[in-house]
Amino acid sequence: MMGCDAVLRFFALALSLTAAVVLGIDKETKTVPVVLVPDLPPMNVPLTSKWHYLSAFVFFVVANAIACGYAAISLILTLIMNGKKGITMMIIFFDLVMVALLFSGVGAAAAIGIMGYKGNSHVQWNKVCNVFEKFCAQAAAAVGISAGAAAAFLLLVLLAIFNLHNRH
Amino acid sequence: MASAETPAVPEAEAEAVVESTPPPPTEVEPPPETKTAGDSPSIDYLGLGEVVLRFLLFASAVVAVVVIVTSEQTKNSRPAKFNYSPALIYFVAAVSVLGLYSIITTLFSFYALILKPGFFPQVLSHFIIVDVLLLGIVSAATGSAGAIAYTGLKGNSHLGWGKVCAVYGKFCRYVGASVAVSLFASVVLAFLVLLSVYSLSKKIPK
Repeated sequence: MMGCDAVLRFFALALSLTAAVVLGIDKETKTVPVVLVPDLPPMNVPLTSKWHYLSAFVFFVVANAIACGYAAISLILTLIMNGKKGITMMIIFFDLVMVALLFSGVGAAAAIGIMGYKGNSHVQWNKVCNVFEKFCAQAAAAVGISAGAAAAFLLLVLLAIFNLHNRH
Repeated sequence: MASAETPAVPEAEAEAVVESTPPPPTEVEPPPETKTAGDSPSIDYLGLGEVVLRFLLFASAVVAVVVIVTSEQTKNSRPAKFNYSPALIYFVAAVSVLGLYSIITTLFSFYALILKPGFFPQVLSHFIIVDVLLLGIVSAATGSAGAIAYTGLKGNSHLGWGKVCAVYGKFCRYVGASVAVSLFASVVLAFLVLLSVYSLSKKIPK
């Protein structure tokens, strides 16, 4: 089952790296006609939206970067060590931590993304995605990719449990 | 087992010699272990730890749900409830599922501890799969509610989102407390999975 383990780790590495990069280069500038003074015609104001304006996205990028780094280290470790019990337990523990971290990053970015998409009239938070369409689409893609990375880590933990269950 | 004749014959002779001589009576039996009254044979610490952790999980899930459901606050005839935000609705749903699952598994593992040995062995080892899935779901819920709460606390000047918590103090405190308790619940759930993995690995013959 070690081949399956290495393939899953590689997928987790690739997907979390892609998600971090896709959101990390997310930036959009749009000129929006804004009426500043009622008498004058609307002025074109360039508005910029960057990923690090939203703290949930910052958390998302950091979480994916950590998961990518850990996936690289654990891939190397599992290829070198073959079934030493102490290292295996440590790797299962950290895999579990990465599952929780990545899923919480996905949840946070998705929550803020939906808030930007639909707005919230009760607290007067306006929707942003009707203006910044490309920004929102790229963020949604990054969230989807990171969900795949989280699922890969989840499958890694389940695979480890399955192996332990079969060995006794 | 079929083997060559010549090595088998001295082996058979050796076996016969060993069997014919009675065991030497020099071995003194160790004195029987003095058992105090009511001394139960070896407490199953892992099983007990599992029951305790699962009950702790149930308690924290119930606390998180109750705190956030009672967090309604009205200011200037404008209410703030948890069901005005889809992230908080998902949070309540996920933690409720966790609470329901944890009470069921607490009862199962409690019965498995009392009605020894191994009353529900297969079922208990399959709980670990659902434990890991729920860890993912509850972590996502904690992240969502935490992100919304943090944005409500600090606002976002770039997007024109005002600080909600300056107005609705009690609502924000309750939501914050609920998110903190659910963070504790996901840590307990992670420990539970590790405990199950450890007890599974201990059963493997070395």
